[in-house]
Amino acid sequence: MIAVTVFNGWYWLGGHYRLETDILAMLPQDSRDTQVRDATRKLADSAARRIVVLVGAPRWSEARDAGDRYAAALARSGAPVTLRYTVTDQESAGWIDFYSPYRQQLLTSAQVDMLGRESTPALAQRALAGLYQPMGMPRLGRWQEDPLNLFGQWLGERAGQSRIRVVDERLSLSTPTRSYALIMLEQNSPAFSVSGNLSPLLDQTAREVRRHAPDVDIVTAGIPLFAAAAASQAQHEVHTIGAGSLLGIILLTVLAFNGLRPRLLVTVSLFAGLGTAITVTALLFGKLHLITLVFGASLIGVAENYGNNYYAYRLGRPASERWAMLRQQRGVMCLAFMTTAIGYALLALTPFPGLMQMAVFSVSGLLAAFLTVLLCLPYVDAGTLPFNRFAHRIGGLYTLWPDMTRRRNALLAGAACLLILLAGLFSIKTNDDIRLLQNASPRLIQEQRQVGQLLDMPSPGQFFLIEGASPELVLQREEALKSRLAPLLVAGEIKGVQSVSDWVPSARRQCANFAKLEQTIYAPGGVVDQVNRQLGETEQPRVTRTCQPLSIDSWLASPVSEPLRAQWLGKLGKQYASIVMLRGLDNPAKLPALHTLAQEPGVRFIDKVAEISALLAHYRQLMSGVIVLSYALVFGMLWWHFGRQAWRALLPTALASLLTIALLAVTGHPIQLFNILALLLILGMGVDYGVFLLAETGENKHRAFLSVTLAAAGTLLAFGLLALSATPALSAFGLTMLLGISLAWWLNPFFMPPPPSNHSR
Amino acid sequence: MKHVFCSVALLALSQSVPAAEPLDSIAARMARPAVIRGGFEQTKDVSGFAKPLRSQGRFLVAQDKGVLWDTQRPFASQLKLTRNDIVATQNGNVSFQLNAGKEPTVRVITELMFSLLNGNLDTLANHFRVEGKLSGRTWTLQLTPKQTALMRVMQHVELSGDQFVRSIRIDESNGDRTRITFSPQDGTAPRLSREEEKRFD
Repeated sequence: MIAVTVFNGWYWLGGHYRLETDILAMLPQDSRDTQVRDATRKLADSAARRIVVLVGAPRWSEARDAGDRYAAALARSGAPVTLRYTVTDQESAGWIDFYSPYRQQLLTSAQVDMLGRESTPALAQRALAGLYQPMGMPRLGRWQEDPLNLFGQWLGERAGQSRIRVVDERLSLSTPTRSYALIMLEQNSPAFSVSGNLSPLLDQTAREVRRHAPDVDIVTAGIPLFAAAAASQAQHEVHTIGAGSLLGIILLTVLAFNGLRPRLLVTVSLFAGLGTAITVTALLFGKLHLITLVFGASLIGVAENYGNNYYAYRLGRPASERWAMLRQQRGVMCLAFMTTAIGYALLALTPFPGLMQMAVFSVSGLLAAFLTVLLCLPYVDAGTLPFNRFAHRIGGLYTLWPDMTRRRNALLAGAACLLILLAGLFSIKTNDDIRLLQNASPRLIQEQRQVGQLLDMPSPGQFFLIEGASPELVLQREEALKSRLAPLLVAGEIKGVQSVSDWVPSARRQCANFAKLEQTIYAPGGVVDQVNRQLGETEQPRVTRTCQPLSIDSWLASPVSEPLRAQWLGKLGKQYASIVMLRGLDNPAKLPALHTLAQEPGVRFIDKVAEISALLAHYRQLMSGVIVLSYALVFGMLWWHFGRQAWRALLPTALASLLTIALLAVTGHPIQLFNILALLLILGMGVDYGVFLLAETGENKHRAFLSVTLAAAGTLLAFGLLALSATPALSAFGLTMLLGISLAWWLNPFFMPPPPSNHSR
Repeated sequence: MKHVFCSVALLALSQSVPAAEPLDSIAARMARPAVIRGGFEQTKDVSGFAKPLRSQGRFLVAQDKGVLWDTQRPFASQLKLTRNDIVATQNGNVSFQLNAGKEPTVRVITELMFSLLNGNLDTLANHFRVEGKLSGRTWTLQLTPKQTALMRVMQHVELSGDQFVRSIRIDESNGDRTRITFSPQDGTAPRLSREEEKRFD
């Protein structure tokens, strides 16, 4: 126990915890799609820590000054962020120098079309007309080397792919009505840690800037803001809801067990369980998944049952009897533990690392809490505990349940249940859309959308993954894909394509361009020659005579690749891979057409949103299977202990679960993973109620009922209150728990065998 | 909006450079009619060419629309410049077209050319260090690009004129030199003809 405490202290306080929040980490490890996962993760990593701040004003000078003030205030604050705001003149001009040596190999697709379509005399006429024009695209280098100014246009097209410009050595953006200073922030702390929540600081900085310049508007966007908002909301809710439920639980047990001491000891057993679970999971898996923690921590609440049960039997008995009493109870408690643990152990058999983690977490936690109650509690629990009036009254409630051996009662209840189940059956629907789980504030979503529109950013959730045995092959496949995408661009279905091969064409394409230029422009009889003859000039172009393609490696090594570097995934396994992103993909109806375009070797269309939703659906189905199997195994165990009476301990919980789902369905709640997760817990707890009640007769039945009622009340206070949460996942979980536990508690007494004789009290 | 922004830039400049005082006088001297029409003569020394290229024609600057540049000799071609695009036509066919929507650099170019032709000092000060000299009724401006990127293309620009811009000299970084002289008409119709309007649409 000391070891566990020390480990947890080191783990959480020492900042060694690694909380996994990427839902994709719960994907099967041996999936053939490791590439896709690596790809999406690599892309996500680069985005997960970036925040974009746009400081806008009607005039650039205002935007610039406000941006300066914002950046300075942020730098002064010492926040753990890296700022990217200014760009030196040298940096912004550097990319022209980088590409100049390769200019004979770089052509836009429109230029390739033009050179293929038009005759050399027509091209020469164009070049001649251009010579007499006072303006056009700026020309880099001498006329003889580029009579049609192809390189200038190529650079123009590259620049046109981003709306970010450098003005006054600052990143900027402008619309017809407003100018914006652009500040990029990279968070240095882990993306999802709550301590790294930058929102308050950013808000404060924004307020400060606006105080000086009221006309200025400041929009921020970025995954860290969403993560921080979600985390702080969840934290806030857990705090308020948690405080409320803690108060309720303490009040209840203090009243029933005459004082704080029993409550404290039960709590100790819970913490022992939780601590052990975290230790074991962290040691086995290296890191803890957020969902494991949420689900697992709530599961530890089941352990409450053991402590409560112990005290329900201790009441009114002298301390000296406690060992005998425990011996007597051990069998039932073991059974209760086994029936709970079995469901979670089954999770470990699934191929999903996430579920496996949950299994390890839950079983180890439960076992530790169970053993704490069984082995440690009696040692520290001396003194007398009177069976007080409050406890008596709760236990006595048991007699209020109507006698179900009377046929009329049973028929009536059965008919009511059947009605609800049928209604549920007809209205049940599932929904695994990940977007259901989002609950960011409208302001965050609005600002994110605004920044996306202003920057014209490509969609992060849907993209093409290109693979190939060599970088060259990847680039060639990108180019082939882009030519298939061209009709969609023309038709306006998508607004733009962003790919590495725009900046580094394949060597094959580069040398084809080179050959085309050599033939139509530079060779005798080419464009330069023809114009020279018309003007009576003789100067020859000074050009390279061999194709020396720009390689992906030298591009990657240069600062010019910075904006697109994340899209080049490099070597993943045996393959090289890259990502082709799309702009203006706002309509899901377009997705099938894109799927069709990916029907080529080495090209895949990835729809991350759909993928995560599919993953949630898969988990939901798998969990449902696990639950059914658990019921079968639990029934086996109960049979072994109770024989023919076993159904009495299981059926109420099964019925409670079915009624819960039916009620959720009737009230229009779609069924998703988090409802199903709760059902597994309901099985674990509800069967405990049945076991405790069924194992006792006579006066002890009241003790059992007291224990069960306190456990149910505790669970309801702890998790049922989550139904009030604004976080959709927590609320679905909480609502299911609320209904299921209430029903299981309420239904169990109906199924108990009638008392052999009439007992007063 | 642009106007005020540029005046601010100019103001900043005039505070730091004492010699900037003539700029205000030059700006005050410029007539800003809604429409300027006239003829032009262009001489271009292309690096590597033995002989200069000469062309001439007519031009039109409409303050709120853009520029029409009709070359008449040695062969006819038309150039239209608006805030959003540059379109060149020859024998009725579009020979090249640059759109600011597709290539944002185009907006910088059109803005630059527009302000060179109508001597809009405010916008020019945005992109260039401006030095001015007054002598009697005429003035000369020396423009040096502020940004390295622009320096790659344009090394130096000289503007001179009186109430109108009379000549422009552009020294490109590749060694090409362009000189344009203007002969603006006085008392030209202050409004666009229907035909001219149509060309801007």
